[in-house]
Amino acid sequence: MEAARIPAARSPLAVLRNALGQYGLILALLVLPVAYGIDDLRTDGDLSRLANNLVDGLSNGAIWALVAIGYTLVYGIIELINFAHGEVFMIGSFASASLFATIGLGAVTGTAGLVFGLVAVLLLAMVVSGTLNVMIERVAYRPLRGSPKLAPLITAVGMSFILQNVGLLWRGGSPEGIVDLIESQNALFTVAGVVVTNGDLLAVVVTIPLVLLMTAFITRSRLGKAMRATAQDPDAARLMGINVDTTISLTFLIGGMLAGAAGLIYALYQTTIWYFQGFTAGLIAFTAAVMGGIGNVRGAVLGGFIIGFIQQISDNRIGGEWTPAIVFAYLVLIMTFKPSGLLGEETREAG
Amino acid sequence: MSADGTGPILAAEAITKQFGGLTAVNDVSFAIPRGAIVSLIGPNGAGKTTFFNILTGLYKPTLGRVRFEGKDITAVRPDKIMALGIARTFQNIRLFGTMTALENVMVGQHARMKAGLFGSILRPPRVRREEQRVRDKAAEALEYVGLRSALHEQLATNLSYGDQRRVEIARALASDPKLLLLDEPTAGMNPQESEDLTRFMERLRDELGLSILLIEHDMKVVMGVSEHVTVLDHGEKISEGDAQTVRTDPLVVEAYLGKQEAERQRQGGVV
Amino acid sequence: MSTAVGVEERAQARSRRFGRPDQLPIAARRLLAAALIVGGLVLPFFFDAGGGFIDDATLALAYVVMALGLNIIVGFAGLLDLGYVAFFAIGAYTIGWFGSFFFSGITENGIHVLVTGIAAEAPGIHLNFLIIVVIAVLFCTIAGMAIGLPTLRLRGDYIAIVTLAFGEIIGRIAINGDQIALGFLGGEQTLTAGRQGITPVDKVDLPLLAPFTSLELRPWYWLAFALVLLVLFVNLRLRDSRLGRAWIALREDEVAAASMGVPLVKTKLMAYGTGAAFGGISGAFLGSYLNTVNADQFQFSFSIFLLAMIILGGLGSIWGVVLGAIALSFINNRLIPDVLNDVPSALGLDFDLTQLSFGIFGFLLLIMMVLRPEGLIPERRRQMELRDESIETDEAVYEARMS
Repeated sequence: MEAARIPAARSPLAVLRNALGQYGLILALLVLPVAYGIDDLRTDGDLSRLANNLVDGLSNGAIWALVAIGYTLVYGIIELINFAHGEVFMIGSFASASLFATIGLGAVTGTAGLVFGLVAVLLLAMVVSGTLNVMIERVAYRPLRGSPKLAPLITAVGMSFILQNVGLLWRGGSPEGIVDLIESQNALFTVAGVVVTNGDLLAVVVTIPLVLLMTAFITRSRLGKAMRATAQDPDAARLMGINVDTTISLTFLIGGMLAGAAGLIYALYQTTIWYFQGFTAGLIAFTAAVMGGIGNVRGAVLGGFIIGFIQQISDNRIGGEWTPAIVFAYLVLIMTFKPSGLLGEETREAG
Repeated sequence: MSADGTGPILAAEAITKQFGGLTAVNDVSFAIPRGAIVSLIGPNGAGKTTFFNILTGLYKPTLGRVRFEGKDITAVRPDKIMALGIARTFQNIRLFGTMTALENVMVGQHARMKAGLFGSILRPPRVRREEQRVRDKAAEALEYVGLRSALHEQLATNLSYGDQRRVEIARALASDPKLLLLDEPTAGMNPQESEDLTRFMERLRDELGLSILLIEHDMKVVMGVSEHVTVLDHGEKISEGDAQTVRTDPLVVEAYLGKQEAERQRQGGVV
Repeated sequence: MSTAVGVEERAQARSRRFGRPDQLPIAARRLLAAALIVGGLVLPFFFDAGGGFIDDATLALAYVVMALGLNIIVGFAGLLDLGYVAFFAIGAYTIGWFGSFFFSGITENGIHVLVTGIAAEAPGIHLNFLIIVVIAVLFCTIAGMAIGLPTLRLRGDYIAIVTLAFGEIIGRIAINGDQIALGFLGGEQTLTAGRQGITPVDKVDLPLLAPFTSLELRPWYWLAFALVLLVLFVNLRLRDSRLGRAWIALREDEVAAASMGVPLVKTKLMAYGTGAAFGGISGAFLGSYLNTVNADQFQFSFSIFLLAMIILGGLGSIWGVVLGAIALSFINNRLIPDVLNDVPSALGLDFDLTQLSFGIFGFLLLIMMVLRPEGLIPERRRQMELRDESIETDEAVYEARMS
């Protein structure tokens, strides 16, 4: 033991811990699909049930991905868990549902009218949620910039409750069924026992262009570059002539708009809206953001799809009433053992 | 290696520390003789504070080991290292801002106290006595570093910069350390204050029998006081020896002043 | 300007002056405390024994106990816990399990320990209230540490989310617990009664006293008052102790605290465990007082209700938290449903104000944090110090926590 060059910690335990840190999350994520996959093979002889879970999971996941991007962008730029983000999503759903009536969309509207109407609703819902998110930042977070880090988190929780109450006053206290405009559960086509519904198509058709557009915006545009610069170092960004306040507002705007879009998809897909939907959705989407590696947009999308899949398996096999508990258990596990997530970049500078 | 009081009080053997791909400290060996004041110097970003953090257990070295009085303390928890007798101050003063000066110094004695949860709640005589002893000792330490007693009950944040430095040193001293690590204690001081601090360090060594490791980037401060100087640059040890040797070492001059400047000085003969 | 460290300074006359100008001399403080205690004790005599005021006051006191527990975790140690409701739940289920008919399916003759009256005859497990409190404290301390364990290495905002998630998981188990069959006990036995609630629950039955009843509320009030005194005593003692100082040091600067000999893991776990224990005490009391242990009681909003109390009163400030808890409790249980409920209709609006209560608390959180983050009665340390940002981003914290 007198050798000068001795690795400080290379006990078998440390190696194991290292390996777990590296691959543990992936293993943990595979547990449910693999277990039920084997189960399906035994009982049904094929994996069509699991594949159906996967398809439903992806469309659910698209919604979570859109919401998760909002968390991840905001966290990336001001290191704040925007706890009210789930409520911004909820307001997006509510605004959409109200707009259906205003615009006059109903079950009898023709396809062309429907497409045109929905695009209009999508844009409006995005504007509503985006504006709301910007206002939240102005009222609840900006005054606390420079305060201890937990202070804005507490106002975020406060904001979340306020918005829940707004939703409660707006459309009442119980889950409300709304018009099923796109016949969400109708099978569009079936491939090898896997059913793809109208809702699935909608989720994918809306989400993918939005995500692509947004990624392009962040990487290409001047404002997007300002966002990234601010995320790296607000002070340096300010010195470089970037208006940090505007940039942060913009981040909230984009995050809110995506949440608004998610709100519309949710309303169309689930055809049930509730003032409380944002709380659970928010935590699920946050889990997705952490799973992907908070601050990382691609990670948020990936995390959203994975969580959607897990959620679907749980809803379908274990029971929907347990789904939140299962998702939260994943949240705890990830935050404890791999807080940097799947695609996480080290956000802190070393040393 | 011995614990009998003849070997160095602290020996760092081939310490390497990497953060991701970056090597902050590379293969540095280093010893502090008992009862000595030694210095670790180097330009900003040379890895001094990283090295310091390894000695105090805040970082685990990637390679190498640290011995304190012959005992391996590599990767031992910081609070245990403090309990063993290594106390430190911080470059950017890290007092507990909303505690009074006295309370700050009392926290420094945490490892020397026994009161547990139930003792703290029930406060038997044993705990009361301990509390009183710790309080008295804290006041004593504050007076030793020269903080006016009127300021003992002041919140740390409300103290002047110089007084905060004193409280930080008192907090370290109150734990009865054998080795004191000072991280750029003269930062923000004028030459007179630095000079006073130098005298104070000698007093600590002579009166309390402390060994002291001083980190500085200002070379002038260390020259007067340290018996032995080690120079780090870019995480590597580039020179060591007594103050005079180090001061004239071309590598050191270069590290501090850059190559061109070193060249110019060598020709001009000014250091 | 400061003079140099080495300068010899004459120790000035040691004026042991009081650090806080607002602080009263010891005698006056004792007098005030005595007056408050006596006032609190005789208060119920001025009100109807079965009436609303004593009911509200008893609830308020039970909330004070929980708020003081949460204050140890959040206010003292600076660990933002958004799942404190879990300890309310665990405390309440302790009495639900060990002080009701709930286990009648598997214990036909019942298990009875030191209970009188109906409880001594009935099927199910019926333990004395004091035993139940001890068990609740034990359960909650263990749960508190178990919940704290994964958060040890995390930064402040992640701690908040992990504790929240734990609180929600416990809440889910409470709601769905009626589907969980406890097979090993045989018979038709579930873990909880879900949203049906476990009811009735044994009334508090203390040695030497007659069992409490739901008609005479004064004894409940006095018991809650005694619990508050106990918890206050513990809080005050802990604040000015080795452990209290360590908590505050930790809250202020983890790296410095560790470097000064404060063991991070142990100190944090002590905060979680101690804080949780109070939740258990109050939960067991409320289970009996409310006569039901219902899963709907244990929602996230309750955690925030408690958090709002300590933010309103002043984080870390013991007296502030007491005030905040009493104030919010009365606002929630009296002011909103009874006094102000006519306001919307008077204004020509059509909604039920009680629905808004949590929006109101959310608003309160927001307003307090923006305008007066130090609370109504600030801790003497004045500022709200949920740890500083510069320290949060310190790499050393993470390595230090690993060990």
